[in-house]
Amino acid sequence: MKVQLRSELLKQRSTRTNFVLVAGMLGLVLFVELVHGVGLAAEHLDARSEQLETFGRGEFLGVLFAALLGALSITSEIRHGTIRPTFLVTPRRGSVVAAKVGVSMLVGAGFGLVASGLAAGIGAAALSVRGIDVQVDGGDHALLVAGGAAAAALWAAIGVGIGAVVRSQVPTVVGISAWLLFVEGVLAGDALDLGVSRFAPGAAAAAISGQDPGMLLEPALGAVLLTLYAVVASAAGWLATTRRDVV
Amino acid sequence: MSTDGTDARPKRHLDPRPLPTAPDGSPGDPIVSVRSLTKRYGGLAAVDDLSFSLPAGTITGFLGPNGAGKTTTLRLILGLAEPTSGEALVFGHRYEDLDQPARRVGAVLESNDFHPGRSGRDHLRALALAAALPPTRVAQVLQLVELDAAASRRVQTYSLGMRQRLGLAAALLGDPELLVLDEPANGLDPAGIHWLRTFLRRFATRGGTVLVSSHVLAEVAQTVDEVLIIDRGRLVARARLDELAGRGRTLEDTYLELTTGGAS
Repeated sequence: MKVQLRSELLKQRSTRTNFVLVAGMLGLVLFVELVHGVGLAAEHLDARSEQLETFGRGEFLGVLFAALLGALSITSEIRHGTIRPTFLVTPRRGSVVAAKVGVSMLVGAGFGLVASGLAAGIGAAALSVRGIDVQVDGGDHALLVAGGAAAAALWAAIGVGIGAVVRSQVPTVVGISAWLLFVEGVLAGDALDLGVSRFAPGAAAAAISGQDPGMLLEPALGAVLLTLYAVVASAAGWLATTRRDVV
Repeated sequence: MSTDGTDARPKRHLDPRPLPTAPDGSPGDPIVSVRSLTKRYGGLAAVDDLSFSLPAGTITGFLGPNGAGKTTTLRLILGLAEPTSGEALVFGHRYEDLDQPARRVGAVLESNDFHPGRSGRDHLRALALAAALPPTRVAQVLQLVELDAAASRRVQTYSLGMRQRLGLAAALLGDPELLVLDEPANGLDPAGIHWLRTFLRRFATRGGTVLVSSHVLAEVAQTVDEVLIIDRGRLVARARLDELAGRGRTLEDTYLELTTGGAS
């Protein structure tokens, strides 16, 4: 198992894919924090909840890009055919999936850490420059960053699981993006009062970092729920990979 | 773990020790043993009750028209697909039950199973890590297939012949006793084919066993010791090339008589 982890780590380091993902993620963090921190009217930024929401954009971007990182770790192997030599060397395919989950969670946590930390930092800096009191305190910051890392790590595992089940790269990437960027927003829309949107995996991720306590679950509950999603997705990916013939 | 960074392991095919034991195994076990192997997709049998075995130290050509089930058979032998019934054993075991398969079997199924943005060396390093092979093997196989100069370049800059050789390098990482190659001569220029033929002959002379699929008869006739011909998933002939020649028949005569491809 240890050798598979080292192999997966090398695979993730030895192409430009992850560097492109990080660059894209950081660019978007910078973009959203500057637009909101500088562009929003002061009366939309002085409450703690409004500041938390602004700073929390980084957590969302960390989750999105970590999910894509996890998904690409397997769909890219299938797309390029490297999955064949990979499984020839490690014919017990379950341990390849487990290693991908482990390494993607590790790298995904890094994504979440950087994105949430940077977002909170830039957001707070923008507020100070404008002379707006920063209401978000040290505990909030710690939760934002730690929660952002945890949520991104768990979503990276979900990405591996979905990628292993779907196998095809484009549908996987489009599906994950559409879910996080669109479907959850529709579920949580004001016009709908289904009461289920807070249990969706994207909402659970936001809950971990202490967002919107009125709408979302408690952070600890969000963490438990998202862990469950990650376990189910990884198990589905494990089953799909060990039971089906290799493409 | 037995990997301590050195490669002092004796050449296994020169090693008088008995082969690792299967529950019912003995040193005389065939290298590959396929028994009543069947693989159905829907109602269609891609491989239909196929049986054969490969003795050590031979190069066997695996022939048949396109769609005859050659690649499917190789995938079944290598544990990438599950047989519907029957079994395919290597060294007396199912492939997925081999301990350290890379040290026993090397295989190339497609000529382009690489990430285009990864260097040839990193491709091999990732596989060597997963197979718990010493890192020195990467440099050794790169030299063996004459790719050391290009090893730091990304694979997308490689020619088809270089990709074929990189695939072969990956198969050789564990210094295996059995090589399984699917259409390895595809896209190679005459010099590349000559290189491959010389390489396979040297591998077999040292005791290695090769199963190589092809539909290029002229190429096969110069490389292999014996042929297995399959058609529609069934074995239709097995012969040593020197026997065919002794009976005054060419490989092409036999092949065309027994298979249903093309002209008929």
